[in-house]
Amino acid sequence: MQSWRRKSLWLALLASWLLVLLGLFPLLRLAVPTSPRAGAPQGWPRWLDAELLQSFAKPGELLEDGPRPPQALRGGSCNWGACFDTSKCRGGGLKVFVYPAAGPVSETRRKILASVEGSRYHTLSAAEACLLLLLSPDTSTGECDPVPPQWDGGRNHLVLSLHPAPCPRTFQLGQAMVAEASPTVDTFRPGFDVALPLLPEAHPLRGGVPGQLRQHSPRPGVALLALAEDGGRWHVAGTDFSACPWDGRCEQDRGPKQTHPGATLPNATFCLIPGRGPDVLHFLQALQAGCIPVLLSPRWELPFSEVIDWTKAAIVADERLPLQVLTALQEMPLTRVLALRQQTQFLWDAYFSSVEKVIHTTLEIIQDRIFGPSAHPSLLWNSPPGAILALPTFSPSPSDFPFYHLQQGSRPLGRFSALIWAGALGQPPLKLIQAVAGSEHCAQILVLWSSEKPPPTGWPKTAVPLTVIDGHRKVSDRFFPYSAISTDAILSLDAHSSLSTSEVDFAFVVWQSFPERMVGFLTWSHFWDEARGGWGYTAKRTNEFSMVLTSAAFYHRYYHTLFTHALPKALRTLADEAPTCVDVLMNFLVASVTKLPPIKVPYGMWHQEARPPPLEPGGPGLRQEPQPAAQNCINQMAAGFGHMPLVSSRLRLDPVLFKDPVSVLHPRLLHEAA
Amino acid sequence: MCASVKYNIRGPALIPRMKTKHRIYYITLFSIVLLGLIATGMFQFWPHSIESSSDWSVQKRSIRDVPVVRLPADSPVPERGDLSCRMHTCFDVYRCGFNPKNKIKVYIYSLKKYVDDAGVPVSSTISQEYNELLTAVADSDYYTEDIARACLFIPSIDLLNQNALRVKETAQALAQLSRWDRGTNHLLFNMLPGGPPDYNTALDVPRDRALLAGGGFSTWTYRQGYDVSIPVYSPLSAEVDLPEKGPGPRRYFLLSSQMALHPEYREELAALQARHGEAVLVLDKCTNLSEGIPAARKRCHKHQVFDYPQVLQEATFCVVLRGARLGQAVLSDVLRAGCIPVIIADSYILPFSEVLDWKRASVAVPEEKMSDVHGILQSIPQRQIEEMQRQKWGSVSNPLFLPLIPPQSQGFTAIVLTYDRVESLFRVITEVSKVPSLSKLLVVWNNQNKNPPEDSLWPKIRVPLKVVRTAENKLSNRFFPYDEIETEAVLAIDDDIIMLTSDELQFGYEVWREFPDRLVGYPGRLHLWDHEMSKWKYESEWTNEVSMVLTGAAFYHKYFNYLYTYKMPGDIKNWVDAHMNCEDIAMNFLVANVTGKAVIKVTPRKKFKCPECTAIDGLSLDQTHMVERSECINKFASVFGTMPLKVVEHRADPVLYKDDFPEKLKSFPNIGSL
Repeated sequence: MQSWRRKSLWLALLASWLLVLLGLFPLLRLAVPTSPRAGAPQGWPRWLDAELLQSFAKPGELLEDGPRPPQALRGGSCNWGACFDTSKCRGGGLKVFVYPAAGPVSETRRKILASVEGSRYHTLSAAEACLLLLLSPDTSTGECDPVPPQWDGGRNHLVLSLHPAPCPRTFQLGQAMVAEASPTVDTFRPGFDVALPLLPEAHPLRGGVPGQLRQHSPRPGVALLALAEDGGRWHVAGTDFSACPWDGRCEQDRGPKQTHPGATLPNATFCLIPGRGPDVLHFLQALQAGCIPVLLSPRWELPFSEVIDWTKAAIVADERLPLQVLTALQEMPLTRVLALRQQTQFLWDAYFSSVEKVIHTTLEIIQDRIFGPSAHPSLLWNSPPGAILALPTFSPSPSDFPFYHLQQGSRPLGRFSALIWAGALGQPPLKLIQAVAGSEHCAQILVLWSSEKPPPTGWPKTAVPLTVIDGHRKVSDRFFPYSAISTDAILSLDAHSSLSTSEVDFAFVVWQSFPERMVGFLTWSHFWDEARGGWGYTAKRTNEFSMVLTSAAFYHRYYHTLFTHALPKALRTLADEAPTCVDVLMNFLVASVTKLPPIKVPYGMWHQEARPPPLEPGGPGLRQEPQPAAQNCINQMAAGFGHMPLVSSRLRLDPVLFKDPVSVLHPRLLHEAA
Repeated sequence: MCASVKYNIRGPALIPRMKTKHRIYYITLFSIVLLGLIATGMFQFWPHSIESSSDWSVQKRSIRDVPVVRLPADSPVPERGDLSCRMHTCFDVYRCGFNPKNKIKVYIYSLKKYVDDAGVPVSSTISQEYNELLTAVADSDYYTEDIARACLFIPSIDLLNQNALRVKETAQALAQLSRWDRGTNHLLFNMLPGGPPDYNTALDVPRDRALLAGGGFSTWTYRQGYDVSIPVYSPLSAEVDLPEKGPGPRRYFLLSSQMALHPEYREELAALQARHGEAVLVLDKCTNLSEGIPAARKRCHKHQVFDYPQVLQEATFCVVLRGARLGQAVLSDVLRAGCIPVIIADSYILPFSEVLDWKRASVAVPEEKMSDVHGILQSIPQRQIEEMQRQKWGSVSNPLFLPLIPPQSQGFTAIVLTYDRVESLFRVITEVSKVPSLSKLLVVWNNQNKNPPEDSLWPKIRVPLKVVRTAENKLSNRFFPYDEIETEAVLAIDDDIIMLTSDELQFGYEVWREFPDRLVGYPGRLHLWDHEMSKWKYESEWTNEVSMVLTGAAFYHKYFNYLYTYKMPGDIKNWVDAHMNCEDIAMNFLVANVTGKAVIKVTPRKKFKCPECTAIDGLSLDQTHMVERSECINKFASVFGTMPLKVVEHRADPVLYKDDFPEKLKSFPNIGSL
């Protein structure tokens, strides 16, 4: 007994000593640099008999792990393969039916409905639909929707709520997918549910405010950090923030506190957003402002995380390591800061700036799941112009689009198809056909015959194939994605246009450098008309331009697909009613995709000899002043797009030796230039 | 460096190219597991290149000599895996904050042999693969032998194959590890989880909070943002040297090589083969192989015998069908053979799915759709197939990729590099100061032997003028990212460029605004391939093409100064400083290489006339000059490993340049001649 007691006493003493030692040890470590102890074992040993070690698995074990019957793994929880019936989506692809609202419709709900109805996936028949959309009630009337008629245990249903539901659901979700704002990571089912952003009440239906980033790199002297505060406000910390903890409790003597009202966006390089609270509105504000979101241990799933690679636009950091995070932000390489900043802006503009974009992105994600291997590759989701504007039905290969040649290391195909629109016309445009066919880059000529009269038979013999397509007499037909178009580049022409072969050649070579833009000869410019309080445009020659006429312009054939399949039908109808409007519409479309102006090349002044006026009067798309009806068109387009996408340019691309005194002295060079 | 970017560069290529050197495989595996953890947001900032470190003397011991640890039958067992674990709840990040260099430190427990009360081992001591994995970790920079400094702990208990261990006893062995603490920060590796009859998709050994790098996770067991999914290692293909195969059609369209398939699946495959004949090859075990031939290396179809894994190279698509386990070793074989995996395993978490875009290199088909697999694959166009085969992961990513036109109000900073030509310098300053958008003028005084003129002698201009003195007379000083540069746009201008008009410079700035990611300059130059000499040649003759602009006067984004100073590849910077030449060519190479875009030449200007230098005899100097410049191009092309310069045939002029239009209405009437 005695010895036992003594022993335990000794043990207790020893243990407490050990504890003290162990407790101090790390501290000592920090103070005194350790030197390797002589003779102590170092590293993982090189076993003398390592050669004799067995493999972790017997040869047969890897090959035969016991066959398993199909579908034995299905558990109670839902995933895409188990709970969504894709067979309903065969044929027509994704068709979305949305349950009509019972009772009063709130503003947000109206916007969602309008977005779904404006989508190319919308259908009015529940039977035809493969996805049934149920909008969670967002009114606080306390009235919750009953179980919808086609519920079927929630199969192929998407329950969508942009805001936290004010009343509990009266029925089980069953097999339904949930699309909700900022879901917690614990309940979110990746690949099945969809994480939405938390949108402010006043979020615009379409268009939306563009991103606030005006330059690629942060302005010198701009604050490094903005901290999210309660009530949607931001606290901008100065460059010295070492005493600033996360929650914004900065010491007051560190400069004046700049608190912005809710509507103001943070003006800083990084925006610290706590991951705990439900106040994730800050996240979208940061994106819009081009302030790189730094999420501190977020408990919620990032919006559209299934497709958006957030590592390219935001930083997820651990809230428990404030000093490390601050140091890391301060020392972050410029290259990464630049990339993150730009990506925030791209994502904001592509997926978040309007309710319509959020809804369309949600549907696009579902569509991608149905498509399987033919879905958008990640590149299309994560680089401009974004997946909504890059239709996967056009091509599965990014190299076929005009946008990804740099990333793909590819080039647009080296020839063009001339598409001549022949409206009210009796004679084939012989001179034009010969000039175009004379280009070495011309692959084929397509004549779109849109006249009441039957097409003439006397087409000239040309070096390239000439095909006559019978159009439908509608102006918007000229932008239909005809399967006969075999090249990436289209030279869009009117029968009245007059071009020389050298002009065509030069414009095409320029287009190859800018395959995502329109390259044209004749231009219009838009302006804000103070007197009328609206947009106007003019064909007068000015020092800048923002549109090129499609009566003579090169562009990528993808824009035909986009024009026909992605534009709202109402806008195309508008263009059919006012023919000059179609040029405006096409320029709006391309500008809203590229966010850049078109390109102008010189016209009609290459040679010293006199040229006839560019276009004969009477044809479409003239240098005439647009009529008042047409002026109306630009405003209707701007309303339809939700904003004014056109961008002005002040330059023209000329051949290197254009109007060069030397090329005048050496005509050979001019000839080569031409 | 961002985790995903890093991965895009190195990672994907590594998995398919597992060479027989297992070591490389394990270094890769471990670094990707770390990357996986990094991608989960815990370690966003840590540098994560993994390199083998110092060649310390490691001890050599025999495995037979490792100490034996007896586990009492009643020793504690950890809790089962905590499915709600996330980085911010279960991971102790404070243990990772010790290290001054912000490196994650990894500790490996020393090897022990665990036996139960009866002296029976609880598992095989260590497998060959686990030993190599631990050796790779121990040789990396991450390894620490100091347990007090470790952030991650790796037990030396081999868990790779659950079949080779006793579940409860192994758990007891884990629980008695000195720093176990509910498994916090412990990283376990497992490739074959579960066991008969129900084959769990994650390791059955209770492990509480430990992180698991496991092969064969399903969506139900995978803790997103906590666990890491790894491939199941296949010794088969690692031992065989498979030559790399380029993209293109293969002998078989679809191949199945797995031996243990459920009869139901085998029936489906047989039906596929019956329907599509030669294009589909379904292989099985060989029944009558002669003695001595390893059965794992052969596959049979009827009486035809095929070598495995070589036969995988004969197919475009290879089926990877789940067995009892979701993770199949055949995936490693298929990837290494360059066959596109067709993954039929619902809910399987593909290896490294957090950092790898599997859509670009594989096709996933739901189990339910297995009978359609041929049709699904047939619908993938050839181009996409080739892209999958190539597994090409991006070529150029423009650092200024966001399409935007910076506001004119920002202005530009002119940087004049000067040595001692004060008179000429003052003229340049006076001329440049007339340009409306100039916001600051920076004189880089490159003469260490002479002081710049007194303040009172400098021309009085309307914008701030700063003089920076350099420590050495180096050409690179012109491209240093001086803190004084506050605008994005930089105009580099020589101290003898006095012939450029204010209109020309202002227009150059406007052009830069429309192309902020390019070099915008005046005289253009060209590189040509000299067929006779088989090397590049510098060309300054009158040509229709341009691939470089001189930086004697050029606008560009200040970010390129940062790149030039800190990221210029190889010894180019030193070469330039040593030769006192070609800094402009180096800048042209740098910008073209990083953006993939051509320069923009502005206005017809062909050369800079400098009155002072006409005195020097032109001709001979000219020829040496050309030789030297050609030498630079060849040198730079070899350092870059490619010729990044892009040739274009256009230059930028004002919209109305040489147009028949009243000069006084033009924005830039005074565009100089040559």
